[in-house]
Amino acid sequence: MVPDLQKLSADQLIQYVSWGFYLLIFALSIVRAIRSPLRSNINIAALFSITALTILLSVLTSLQVLPEGGLTSSISTSLILAMPYTLLRLADDFTEIPAWQMRGAEAILVLLVAGVFLMPPPLPLWFVLSLIVYLLAFFTYTTVVFMRTSARTSGVTRRRLRAVSVGSIALIVGFAILGIGLFVPGSSGFTRVLYDIVGLVSGIGYYLGFATPRTMRRAWQEPELRAFLSRAANLPRLPDTRTILQEMERGVASSVGTPGATIGLWNEEKRVLRYDVYGTISEAPPMMSLASGRAFLTQKAVFTPQVQLTNAAYVSMAKRLGAQAILAAPISAGDKRLGVLVVYAPRAPVFAEEDLALVQLLADQAAVVLESRALIDEAARVRAREEVTRLKEDFLSAAAHDLKTPLTTLVAQTQLLERRVQRAPDKPIDLDSVRRLVKEALRLKNLVLELLDVARAEQGKLVSELEFVDITQVAEEVCARHSTERHPCSVEAQGEVLGTYDSLRIFQLLENLVENAVKYSPEGGAVHVRAWQEDGWNHLAVEDEGIGIPADDLPSIFNRFHRGTNVDDRRFAGMGLGLFICRGIAEQHGGRISATSTPGKGTTFRVDLPVNLVLESAGAEVEAPGLMQESRTA
Amino acid sequence: MMSPEHNLDQEYGFILVVEDDPDIRSTVADILELEGYSVRLASNGAEALITLERASAPPSLVLLDMRMPVLDGWGFARSVADMGMKLPILVMTAAQDASRWANEIGAQGYIAKPFDLMDLLASVSKYAHHA
Repeated sequence: MVPDLQKLSADQLIQYVSWGFYLLIFALSIVRAIRSPLRSNINIAALFSITALTILLSVLTSLQVLPEGGLTSSISTSLILAMPYTLLRLADDFTEIPAWQMRGAEAILVLLVAGVFLMPPPLPLWFVLSLIVYLLAFFTYTTVVFMRTSARTSGVTRRRLRAVSVGSIALIVGFAILGIGLFVPGSSGFTRVLYDIVGLVSGIGYYLGFATPRTMRRAWQEPELRAFLSRAANLPRLPDTRTILQEMERGVASSVGTPGATIGLWNEEKRVLRYDVYGTISEAPPMMSLASGRAFLTQKAVFTPQVQLTNAAYVSMAKRLGAQAILAAPISAGDKRLGVLVVYAPRAPVFAEEDLALVQLLADQAAVVLESRALIDEAARVRAREEVTRLKEDFLSAAAHDLKTPLTTLVAQTQLLERRVQRAPDKPIDLDSVRRLVKEALRLKNLVLELLDVARAEQGKLVSELEFVDITQVAEEVCARHSTERHPCSVEAQGEVLGTYDSLRIFQLLENLVENAVKYSPEGGAVHVRAWQEDGWNHLAVEDEGIGIPADDLPSIFNRFHRGTNVDDRRFAGMGLGLFICRGIAEQHGGRISATSTPGKGTTFRVDLPVNLVLESAGAEVEAPGLMQESRTA
Repeated sequence: MMSPEHNLDQEYGFILVVEDDPDIRSTVADILELEGYSVRLASNGAEALITLERASAPPSLVLLDMRMPVLDGWGFARSVADMGMKLPILVMTAAQDASRWANEIGAQGYIAKPFDLMDLLASVSKYAHHA
């Protein structure tokens, strides 16, 4: 029968169009399944074969090539019954359907088909009703599965599953319309048209979702891909490499539409790929048996539809990630191998073959990001080195200046004395000049000792002889030495605060802190020292009402050479070594030193020292004098 | 005590020592006074400017430390130039950049700390204006 186009009615036109469409996608899916015989492609081909066969049967029947009813009717009924099962298999291609459900569905299908063929026509009403219940139940169930999976996934996969969900809903609506047509007399013409339209929608939905054409897939990947690429430029500036990797992994996963992706970084020294999966670090040499290793070693993108793992560790990892299908691509910048990008999915059909190219593109993007990051890190290292050099130069010139100042007086004053004695041998030497010499000699001595202490602090040799020290007493002594009307110094303590320490160093520590407090305080600024014992530790705090330390400077004040940025170095002479030595004293006593400050209000330095000192690095050298004393007394 | 010195100032001029370290300042003053120079002292640039304003005649030489509180050597030199004065200056510093700094402020010369007494006296007699 060749349809006469002039006499063709609208409903017939729709019917022919939908038949044509179904036959076309049947042909496409068969070609796809033959070219790439993956389980999912075969399932898709099966689904569209069912519709194509159903159409073929009904065409042949209407052309009276085949007889109506009987075997023809049984076959088309069986084909319709096979549809929900095929859909369940397709659902299993995207998300795991429990095995018992699959087996149950198969058993029910076999029973019902057997019933269709074995029972004499017309089929009894109860059987027809159970067929309808079966169809409705399974169509509804698969629809729910598709909708739920769609909600769980993202990107292109979510859009595909949405199309499938629309197809499934249309299918249910189609069957409902068919039912209405059967039970409401006189509506058959109208419902037939509706059924065809809804059937067409269903077919389009399934086709777009299950056998997504390449252009459609690209369009559906574009929003996430575009978002990721636009973010990529900012990625190298994120605070650390780990955050960058996580951002890239997220971006890649959403662009490909999979639940996850992970980046393995190549460690040239250890010859391993290093992964950080949700905080679990794993390092392994690249192996040809794994997709990631193969991609890295061959420098080609690899697609593994179903991972075959023998290593128990990998199996559990794959299970935890829901990784059954893997796409891996090498991350390389020119000849430099940086690592590998692994994109995984619970089921292979989530991927398509053209995703290989996409994942390679994303891996190349990752290489750019990682290389930029390496350059930024390198620049930061260079800057840090320059900063250290600058600080060293500043220190050397400050040290030279500080040493030259007392030396200037010493040289000039002694020469002056010599000259005076030469000119007037009988005249007594004036006391002021001698006092000046003594004062400057002491100043020079202190500076030289401070410099020597820095060297000791760096070698961890600040602490020598240990004895019982009462921190309260030391604090009172130091405070008394520095307390003036302009800067009153007071001590607050709960009696003795005893510990075994190097008493000279504890004295030096307090002296430095109190001296600093006085030096950086305006007139009238009081200094307050507190000492107390708590939880097996001795604590002391030196509080001042001085100029304070800017928040930016606080972390580095205990570093060598550092001086506050708000310190006018002409007003406050000093090489910036005092606090460095203080830190050395605290740490080499097994303790720590810290500072809190409010600029303009004051600063509090706090030192925590263990009551019973356990010596670490300087142990042998500290014990030596004690042993010698023992042998001497014995 | 003031009047004979004042007369000497007018006759021979005086040497202005600008130095923040009190011991260096006094020692330099003692050395110069022993050689018969008239000396005035200032602990920073600002004090030195006040001394200049009060003096009836300009000093024959300024011995100038560079790093000082309140007003440093650069600030002092600039103020002097702004006032339209032209003074012989001998920079006296412990810094390595002594010659560069002397150049910067248009000083006649420099002497590096710590200095030898003879070198100090030689430089002073070389650069001091003989009024």
